Amino acid sequence: MALRVQFENNNEIGVFSKLTNAYCLVGIGGSENFYSAFEGELAENIPVVHASLAGCRIIGRMCVGNKNGLLVPSSTFDTELQHIRNALPDSVKVQRVEERLSALGNVIACNDYVALVHPDLDRETEEIIADTLKVEVFRQTIASNVLVGSYCVLSNQGGLVHPNTSIVDQEELSSLLQVPLVAGTINRGSEVVAAGLVVNDWCAFAGMDTTSTELTVVESVFRLNEAVPSNITSAMRASLIESMS
Amino acid sequence: MMESTNIFDKKFQKLIDETVKVIQLEKNDTDFKIERPHFHAVKEETEKLSCSYCKVKFDDLIQQREHYKLDWHRYNLKQSLVSKQPISEEEFFEKNDRDGVSSISGSDSEKEDTIDTLATAQGKIFLQNDSKTVFSLYRCLILEKKEEITEKNIHYRLKETCINNTQWCILMLGGGHFAGAIFQNNAPILHKTFHCYTVRAGQGGSQSSRDGRSNSQPKSAGASLRRYNEQALIQHVKGIVEVWSEEIKKCSLISYRASGPYNRAVLFGGNAPLLDRADPRLRTIPFSTRRATYTEVQRVYNVLTSIQIYESLDEAQLHFGKQKTPETDPKKARAKSACINRAKSRERVDRPLPVEELSDSSDCEDLNDSTYEIVEETVDFKELLEGLEDTRVFAKKSKKKKPKKSKAKKLREKTELYKKKILDVLFQGNLVILKEKLEEYLHKDQNEDNEEKPSPEQLKNDFFNEILDDSGNSLLHVAALNEHEEIMEYLLQNGADPCRKNKNQHTAYTCTQSKEIRDVLRKFARDNPEKYNYNKAQIPINTLTEDEIADKKRNQRKLKREKEKEKKKENEVKKKEQHEKDRFLQLSDREKRALAAERRILNQSGVVISRCFLCASDMSGKVPFEYLGNRFCSIDCLKAHRLQSPLVLS
Repeated sequence: MALRVQFENNNEIGVFSKLTNAYCLVGIGGSENFYSAFEGELAENIPVVHASLAGCRIIGRMCVGNKNGLLVPSSTFDTELQHIRNALPDSVKVQRVEERLSALGNVIACNDYVALVHPDLDRETEEIIADTLKVEVFRQTIASNVLVGSYCVLSNQGGLVHPNTSIVDQEELSSLLQVPLVAGTINRGSEVVAAGLVVNDWCAFAGMDTTSTELTVVESVFRLNEAVPSNITSAMRASLIESMS
Repeated sequence: MMESTNIFDKKFQKLIDETVKVIQLEKNDTDFKIERPHFHAVKEETEKLSCSYCKVKFDDLIQQREHYKLDWHRYNLKQSLVSKQPISEEEFFEKNDRDGVSSISGSDSEKEDTIDTLATAQGKIFLQNDSKTVFSLYRCLILEKKEEITEKNIHYRLKETCINNTQWCILMLGGGHFAGAIFQNNAPILHKTFHCYTVRAGQGGSQSSRDGRSNSQPKSAGASLRRYNEQALIQHVKGIVEVWSEEIKKCSLISYRASGPYNRAVLFGGNAPLLDRADPRLRTIPFSTRRATYTEVQRVYNVLTSIQIYESLDEAQLHFGKQKTPETDPKKARAKSACINRAKSRERVDRPLPVEELSDSSDCEDLNDSTYEIVEETVDFKELLEGLEDTRVFAKKSKKKKPKKSKAKKLREKTELYKKKILDVLFQGNLVILKEKLEEYLHKDQNEDNEEKPSPEQLKNDFFNEILDDSGNSLLHVAALNEHEEIMEYLLQNGADPCRKNKNQHTAYTCTQSKEIRDVLRKFARDNPEKYNYNKAQIPINTLTEDEIADKKRNQRKLKREKEKEKKKENEVKKKEQHEKDRFLQLSDREKRALAAERRILNQSGVVISRCFLCASDMSGKVPFEYLGNRFCSIDCLKAHRLQSPLVLS
């Protein structure tokens, strides 16, 4: 299920929120509309946490995480860190990272199993990523762009990359990540896909400007429309009837 | 070679022609772009298991994944980002062994300053004509502040300002001082300076900004004096500029210095501004100036009109790069000197005595007169001492004294010349000539000094620790600044003191940024730990040498490799175990039992692994749970088994 939302008239919702399979972070100070969109969709399954990092609301670009952990930049205040720790489930490890490239969300893209990182990222950071997020880390660029976190959105089901990514690169990446990839845009042609889209395994949120074509691409590559009610009468029909009889 | 000439020189004017174009000192090599070939090549077969950056193919996924973690891949990634060809693995290892992994490990360092950024900071641009002659001049002479450079207008502007119309106007305003002049062909045709009391020194700075505030307007007598003078200054400047307006109209260039809103308001403010802000001839002076006086205006004019001509681009690079000495970086030097630690005792600066200064500064014709006067004075003194015995003696004496004085002057000139020579040698970095100079120095002193013979050791020490220029640089400093390692080593071995500081409080170690030179100093410090106080010389002694660092890195790499090997081994063992498990699980129940029985028989002779009937985990050493003759590792397994195959009772 993919939804369109807006953060204070801004379509770059990936900047103000972070969505994973185990939790969702949203920047503080947004309108209630923004929160209720997330809470209505997610609150039954995972916690939706209002947070800031280093006093900023651009948490989506500052931090990176998956169901195993969350990495925040070194500029994060202690109180903020404590708040996030309290709000997240115990299974999620929260860690601060001393890294020169402090906008971790821009330099790291990950799902629950693999992560793509900026080629210049520190070795120590790479190890922290591997340990905390429990992922395999690959240094890579996307469409000759080092900001892999900005130009790539990943979930365990699929991925959306910068529209200029060549076919060869896409194939290489998808064999590396073991998920299908598609090159596309969000927010009516914006190539900064991570800024306009947040996604986990069952749900996605895109900016309000996103066209329905873009939304369809998102739903199909992230396999978001496979658990819809129509499935019960079509795909699952045979097995259901067999078990009931 | 480089030569400096005047912008109005015929020689320079010959250089200007249609072909003049702006060049950059670096990055002139034509950027060859290499498209990654796969963009064009239509590949029939889809090679998914490959890395297009490193141009390698893989047999399986694990190989591919391992590859993406390699430094080699990362290096090629970076190469592709700057549109360069990837290198092969062998090449990479070769390169790696040669210069370490510093370039690829960790975050990238900041971009370094190029010569071009230095040139832009100084407000200079470099031009080249068809005959490959390069010359540099101030950018403001031809271009406005934000104007784009185009080939056509450069030639046109150069011609306009330097050949057709050589009348320039310079106006400087600051701190109540005004200085203005109009020059034509190097000669001033009009000039005027004056000063008004507008800055109240005791109160600190100009106070005109306070007048704007209604409630806190200063009312003291000084303040009203100041206010009056501010008005007067504006009137004066206005008067002068109006008188000059005809000449100013004819000028091809108006350079001005008016710092701060107040000074600018004098020139550009009011109902009828003196100068039009939109005037295309208007430029600010692109370097720092001192108080606005006529001499300063002349200096500004001289600096602006001077150009440097180089024979070729390489020459220009060499010369301009060399200027990166502390002197060319006045801002930095001032910032350093501004924070003097007053708690510490400072090094005494040798200031020349006023008398010396007098004879020193007057190098031209009137020097003879001044020496005459000095001679007379000394004679007077002698006369007093000796009494009036014989006038003849006095005359003789005065004659005798005269050549002696000039001898002193000669000596000074000689030392100046000698210092200059040494400086030249150090600039070139010629060790042989330096050694010759040393010999010369030692022998010369032996010949001349008869009264007090300093030991050769002393002489040598003097030679190597001599201060060569105005900023207090010793031989070691100059050698360090010019980055001649050989000379550095030679100097250090012969007793040049690395603790010596120049006037900017830099030691030889801190005055250079060069790694090689610092290495030489560090090496010397390590080899002779007792010779000097290296704390004072600001040389870190405890750091590792390059070899040691390389050694350490090699060891680390080795450790890593071993670790990886171990991991591999572990993985293999695990795989084996898994394989065994799988095999066991695939067996039918009967075969499992048979196997267990077999094991039991074997067990009587040796140690044998017993496995859980259901999950096949190793349970040797544990007490097994038995059910219908089958053994299980835990109750859970047993229960699961029972649910799987429920016992049919009937």
